[in-house]
Amino acid sequence: MDEFWMKIIGFVATVLLAFVVGAVYGGLVRKIIARTQNRIGPPWYQNFIDILKLYSKSSAINHGFMQHIAPAMAITASVTVLMFVPVLTGDGWFPWFENLNFKGDLIFLVYMMVFGSLGMALGIGQTGNPNAAIGVSRGLSMMVGYEIPFVMALVALMVQTETTSITGLMEYQDQHGWLMFSSPFAFIAAVMAMLGMFHYGPFDVAFAPSELASGPPSEFGGKYLALMMTSGSIFAFAKLVLFVDIFMNGASNLIILVIKTLVLYMIPVLYGAVSPRYRTEQAIRYFWGWPTFFGALAIIFAIYY
Amino acid sequence: MNSLLLVILILLAGAVLSFLANRIMPILSGVMSFLSIGAAAVIFFVQVSAADSMAIPISGFSLHWGINAYSWLFGAMVLGLSVFVALYAIAFMKGKDRLGYFFFNFNLTIMAMMGIVFSTDWVSLFIFWEIMTWSSFLIIIYAGISEGRVGTKYMIFSAIGGYAMFMAILVSNSLLGSFQIADLVSGFGTLSLGNQALIGILFMVAFGVKSAVMPLHVWAPRAYADSPMAFTAIFSGLLSKMGIFGMGILMISVFAQGTIGQTFIFSNILAWLGAVTSVIATFYALIQKDAKRLLAYSSIAQLGYIIVGLAIGTPLSIMAALFLAVVHAIFKGTLFMVVGAVERQAGTTNMEELGALIRKMPWTFMAALFSIIALAGVPPLGGFVGKWMLYESLITSGFGANYFLVIMVFLSSTAAFLYSYRFLFGLFLGQEEPEFDHVKEAPAIMVVPMVVLALLLLVIGAFPGLLFEPIANAMAYMGVDVNWNMTVLSNVWGDEVHMEPLWTSILVMFVIGATFLTFKTRRNTRYVTTKDIHTSGEIPEAHENMTFSVNFYQPFERAIEPVMKRKMDTYYNRIGEGLESLFGFARKIYTGNGQTYAIYVIIFLSILILIGETIFNK
Repeated sequence: MDEFWMKIIGFVATVLLAFVVGAVYGGLVRKIIARTQNRIGPPWYQNFIDILKLYSKSSAINHGFMQHIAPAMAITASVTVLMFVPVLTGDGWFPWFENLNFKGDLIFLVYMMVFGSLGMALGIGQTGNPNAAIGVSRGLSMMVGYEIPFVMALVALMVQTETTSITGLMEYQDQHGWLMFSSPFAFIAAVMAMLGMFHYGPFDVAFAPSELASGPPSEFGGKYLALMMTSGSIFAFAKLVLFVDIFMNGASNLIILVIKTLVLYMIPVLYGAVSPRYRTEQAIRYFWGWPTFFGALAIIFAIYY
Repeated sequence: MNSLLLVILILLAGAVLSFLANRIMPILSGVMSFLSIGAAAVIFFVQVSAADSMAIPISGFSLHWGINAYSWLFGAMVLGLSVFVALYAIAFMKGKDRLGYFFFNFNLTIMAMMGIVFSTDWVSLFIFWEIMTWSSFLIIIYAGISEGRVGTKYMIFSAIGGYAMFMAILVSNSLLGSFQIADLVSGFGTLSLGNQALIGILFMVAFGVKSAVMPLHVWAPRAYADSPMAFTAIFSGLLSKMGIFGMGILMISVFAQGTIGQTFIFSNILAWLGAVTSVIATFYALIQKDAKRLLAYSSIAQLGYIIVGLAIGTPLSIMAALFLAVVHAIFKGTLFMVVGAVERQAGTTNMEELGALIRKMPWTFMAALFSIIALAGVPPLGGFVGKWMLYESLITSGFGANYFLVIMVFLSSTAAFLYSYRFLFGLFLGQEEPEFDHVKEAPAIMVVPMVVLALLLLVIGAFPGLLFEPIANAMAYMGVDVNWNMTVLSNVWGDEVHMEPLWTSILVMFVIGATFLTFKTRRNTRYVTTKDIHTSGEIPEAHENMTFSVNFYQPFERAIEPVMKRKMDTYYNRIGEGLESLFGFARKIYTGNGQTYAIYVIIFLSILILIGETIFNK
């Protein structure tokens, strides 16, 4: 029974950690983008204020069942993805963060990541907002773009290390050093795919603020939006930890984890802060150009490694 | 009486009876068909055992029937799905004319499929194969000859397939002296490489036509979309699996015996054909306006995965292929039934017109949602299990080209999200249109089969082992041993996915999230229509249409434009035109004028007189 409660505590602690770090990163990004645009920008804790305010609001309307449960599907996907990603390695400061990480693998994670977006897309569809539907159409289209180089990078890693599980990849890195260096082309392809995955400019086609009135979330307010923002923070953190785990051998304590994830996160943020938006087809072609080339190179490299 | 014969006879009797019952009362026709299929299914699942076999002597040789673990898998699939579709068909076909004709062919198709499954020699397999082709052809032209000559196209390709199979059977008989499938398996290794390739390619053409592998696929989209939906559920779900059934026999057991199995080119070309089929078909699926056509192209794409799995030929990939075959039968059968229900209730399946049926047809939507989740391969439903095994088998195969193959498969199944969403959005979500206000939920007799099948997908997702067991038995019969576990998926590198914690995590989080949202909120909120939305301050007029459903994926279409320029259809049309001009030339010789023929006779005689002496007087 004790073991069971330890697991529950670990679960709650992990989710809380992910939420806090994710939301702080979100605030930092808003600040950084504001500074590059010569604005002062909101404080770093602005996201917490927003989310707290939204949680305290009550909603007056709903658009039907699918819209009602869509945020629940989003948070289900985010937390489930987080549960399958090892947050800290070894006997770090918090031995709880082990979760379920040995019971899924990379292919599973790639598919699990889509679950939330698909659930949200269905909820958005029921609201009948044309802007939101356009956003979904663009987002899904671009997803086909960036998933290709991303999966190529993953296949290259799996072939090179002869394992498909994340813990397996980390064990390999314990012996052979970071995969970032031993499989450089895969890293390049994955980072380029990551630009699209985080939906910052020039790939912010789905949420395009000035074009689509923020697109997909536009019919969600109050608790719905609060849950979506929470889910978004957790998901961003989970994705970053996944990248750190597979390319940088994870992190053994929180400080190193924060440093590694923040450095990685700055790539799409800084790239996005100075780039104007692509059209959707340009974004797709971008991912099927150089990133896919590097992905192919990575696979060839892995075959002859 | 022999239970195999009994199954076939019951289905045949059902066909005749439902034809006759139409004279008494049209609705009886469907009921007869359902009862006979139900009875056949009961006998099949209760009575039929591995020991059953029989021979029908026909002047000099005999037709052999039997059952083994592999054919049991396909037989169970055919009868299991057919029962549901037959129940659905009663309500779906109600009020349409020529019900006797429809149900006669419907039953006959299912009988022919069971016959194919039972056959242990090529001759009876060929006979049933042709019955299946003809009865399905008659249903395709049920609505009359359409402007695209769909039936003709289907018939031409089926004829090519049929002749190819006939030739393969004769060649193998003349080389091995036997029509038995088992003898081809054991004797295949003794043939020369050329003969192995000849027999292999001819059989592959025959089975490839039915499973719509590129470049033999052009008949499929229209044929699937134009037949009545109650039949398309069978057509796409099961009839195409007969091609897979044959390919399975060849690729798992026959080619493994011969030297051709070891040459990598043969299976690799097939695997790449399967992958390219799935990518191109997926691209076509997502530019369709009609939900039926979308599903038709999607069927072709899904069969591509199955062929990839069979062609790679590792234990895990074969298991993935058979798993996908069964799951595809379930979810695509359900989806075609969903489209049929929408067509019957709303009168159209055009996704640009339809929308917001979710509140009017909630149960149909639920069935569609689960099937689409399985189709897209999103965890935790059954579709994911098959996709996962396919990817893992390709990645762990240790062969360079397969790593690029997995990218092709991945491209196709990621793009499948697009048409999956388009399907649900086009039919069930989006703006409410006043012209569809009258639409009601389909009758219970249609809804029940759809919902039951959708729930079956949930069960398979939670306990994939239920399906692994018969598949592993089938593979053991074919000589491929594979390990399986009730809830754990694993590959040859020892990496695992546990379905149990996954389901726990998803259920727990979903319940927490949904409770949180519903608590205090759901009661205090009121439902607003889809006209009552955020429009950036502009107030739309009542007549203004705010639906976004035309050119839904225009940006993606632009991105893939270079791929879409070429169509296989154009090549076939050119061949067709070429043949027509050839026949036009023949027409110049056979003018139909007696005087011309008289000239021919004179020319022939004069040639004979001139050179005849040297030929005959030797």
